[in-house]
Amino acid sequence: MSLLDVNDLNVGFQTRLGTVRAVNNVSFEIDKGEVFGLIGESGSGKSVIGMSLLHLLPRNARVRGRAIFEGSDLLALDEEKMQKFRGEKIAFIPQNPTASLNPLMKNGLQASEIFEQKGYSRQEAWDRALGVMQSLLIREPEVSAKRYPHQLSGGMKQRLVAGISLSLEPELVIADEPTKGLDSISRKRAIEFFQQLEGKERRSMLLITHDLDLAYEICDRLAVLYAGEIVEMGPARKLMDSPEHPYTRGLIKSLPKNGLEPLEGSSPSLLGLPDGCFFRERCNCQTIDCRKWHPQLSLNNGWMKRCVLP
Amino acid sequence: MKCISISKSNPAIQGRIKWTPCHRIMANRTVAVCLVLLAAMVLIAILAPWIAPYEPNDINLKESLQSPSKEHWLGTDHLGRDIFSRLLYGATTSFTIAISVVAFALIWGIALGGIAGYFGGLSDDIISRVIDLFLSFPSMIFALAIVGALGSSVLNLIMALALVHWASYARLMRGQVLSAKSNDYVSSARVIGASDRRILVKHILPNALAPVIVLATLDMGHVILSAAALSFLGLGIPPSVPEWGSMLNAGKEFMRTSPYLTLFPGMAITLTVILFSLLGDGFQEILDPESEVSGLVAA
Amino acid sequence: MRSTLIDVQSLSKQYGRQKVIDEVSFSVEEGETLGLFGISGSGKTTIGRCIMLLEKPDCGKILFKGRDLLKMNRREVFGVRPRLQMIFQHPETSLNPKMRVKESIAEPLLIHRRLGRSEIDEELEQLIRQVGLRPEHLERYPQQISGGEIQRAVLARIMSLEPKFVVADEPTSMLDASVQAQILRLMMGLQEDTGLAYLFISHDLDVLRAVSDRIAFIEEGSISLIERNECKKRWSRSKRG
Repeated sequence: MSLLDVNDLNVGFQTRLGTVRAVNNVSFEIDKGEVFGLIGESGSGKSVIGMSLLHLLPRNARVRGRAIFEGSDLLALDEEKMQKFRGEKIAFIPQNPTASLNPLMKNGLQASEIFEQKGYSRQEAWDRALGVMQSLLIREPEVSAKRYPHQLSGGMKQRLVAGISLSLEPELVIADEPTKGLDSISRKRAIEFFQQLEGKERRSMLLITHDLDLAYEICDRLAVLYAGEIVEMGPARKLMDSPEHPYTRGLIKSLPKNGLEPLEGSSPSLLGLPDGCFFRERCNCQTIDCRKWHPQLSLNNGWMKRCVLP
Repeated sequence: MKCISISKSNPAIQGRIKWTPCHRIMANRTVAVCLVLLAAMVLIAILAPWIAPYEPNDINLKESLQSPSKEHWLGTDHLGRDIFSRLLYGATTSFTIAISVVAFALIWGIALGGIAGYFGGLSDDIISRVIDLFLSFPSMIFALAIVGALGSSVLNLIMALALVHWASYARLMRGQVLSAKSNDYVSSARVIGASDRRILVKHILPNALAPVIVLATLDMGHVILSAAALSFLGLGIPPSVPEWGSMLNAGKEFMRTSPYLTLFPGMAITLTVILFSLLGDGFQEILDPESEVSGLVAA
Repeated sequence: MRSTLIDVQSLSKQYGRQKVIDEVSFSVEEGETLGLFGISGSGKTTIGRCIMLLEKPDCGKILFKGRDLLKMNRREVFGVRPRLQMIFQHPETSLNPKMRVKESIAEPLLIHRRLGRSEIDEELEQLIRQVGLRPEHLERYPQQISGGEIQRAVLARIMSLEPKFVVADEPTSMLDASVQAQILRLMMGLQEDTGLAYLFISHDLDVLRAVSDRIAFIEEGSISLIERNECKKRWSRSKRG
């Protein structure tokens, strides 16, 4: 049963230098209770996809396509209806927890704000907030609640922000780069945190990240993005253990623990994408056909790949 | 919620074009228009002696308080002097005052603020206390006191306003320098062996000046208003010297019967201040496009 | 037998009552990469900055080829600067945004070698080839190039001085995985070509295992362990830059 069905999503940005094609014909589904990952490097379009679902893109964005969630097309909703979805049905855990917290407000108040908005009394909201903080393993919630964000560590802030986002028990969580900038120990803790989150509630999640370890640990399925389109999609662990697409293969091999084999070149400019396959200039299996036409995604036993070669 | 910015500076987009400062100025229409208009005003002010149909102090009581007509485009004041000519000469006075005050404030502000911010320690302590001292006076009263003590003249007015204004430039510059100093490229310059002078001139100054320039632009308007206010109060400029504020002062008695004595200088002041404000906002957007303030302006 | 290049002895520094580094001692030999592993706040960055004389330690010695850097006068420091260089973590702030890439790369040459215009252009050409940049990158401003390209430019800038010792403070943690691999390969290649030594500071143990000869572990300001690393990656000579 698919919870979110994204169809032919296209996002372009109008700039003075032309149209930046950030997302090109992206389609994927997320089932109830599934963790779906969008993996990619900078410029791949993964963050843009997450933002487009919740209308968080800047004004010069042109979005086409459909994103069906509980019968409604998210991309077609007006702002009023979207506000009801945001927070309640679909939650967003943003990249930089420090930027999302008000430095002048006590932590507990920030966590209880969302409940007060829903009509709970101040005391009830505070208690619920404490409950949320407790369940997220924030140490000594009563004490932390009376403190300010700058008194928390990076990892704690991440959890607090996640907690606030999850307070109203949304159906779908979109997590944008939850481990960005964290050192290795905090990253491990963050991975454990997400695993625990998933384990308990079986929440549906769209995980946007370039942290391959995180994706490996918690995703059920994932899609690999390159130059705004999906180049490979399938079961998370199998895909990462034996990737088929040359880009995915190159990406996995470039990790220090997998040999640190560099992937030559750099991603193409989104202002002027090349003919044929977007990846061909960096691919060591390149053939003449790779320039001739732009490969489509081919489906093979639940595994999708975009390549001219079989 | 923080929006990602697919901004001009994103390397995936930027790639192949050089956005020189000229490009950016011309690309911003507001700034281009304001610059042109202000340049025209300054030009007119400079050419006043040649363009003005009458001498500004041509007293002719027979022709006093005349409405705008073919001979006197904007009418005459209570002493029969041509308002249009006085307006033009007044522009010279106003712009001279504004440019002098801002120039003085810029020089002292950048120098002292820069030293305090870069070298820190004792020089910072001393300079910051001096800045605090000057900032603690209410500006208009301070200016009034100085002009009152020294007497009315254009020079004294300029000095008074300059003393009032320089401190905010210094404080801003100091903050900017402190912030620029904390960047890795400054540490990197030190590591490669750059001298303090080189670091200040090549690395700190260019990256610290932008808000100070914006301040200067916006301040031009404020100075004109302050000068006008002081003149309106009867201080600052001797009554014979044409200046928009003193014209307002002289005309206020006649507002009901001959409103154009106050109307035209008032409009001139308003227009100039608005142009400088818009220019300042535009500069903010050009010079400091990543700052949140400019985002609000640009939207 | 490689000689000792840098010898840090009992380095300590505190901010207020907080001891950031506490009696830290270690040495770096010529041509080796010493990894320094610690989490944020462990003091690793401060150590790097002290060696580069960007911060003054409260006590201790920093010997470079036997001479104490902390006791040198301004002229001696200026003389030794080319030998000791640093790369920083955040590409966005590593280069002056108001200077074109070529001006940033040429700056050390202007300061130390006082070359003429045409000589500088020749040097630039050679430097960028060494780091894998193209001539069009030279004309751009840092905001117009990617993070990986910025780090390459930074490397070109410091290589112009022929350094013997480079402190790399998390040089790749802000880069994508594939770019990280490219930059690390470049750095190791430069090491092989010129025999320079690295103090490689990182919180990513996988990266340190791939690039270090030895790894030092720092916790709350003190070094708890220094061990040999057997997993350093041997790069093939054919692929470079």
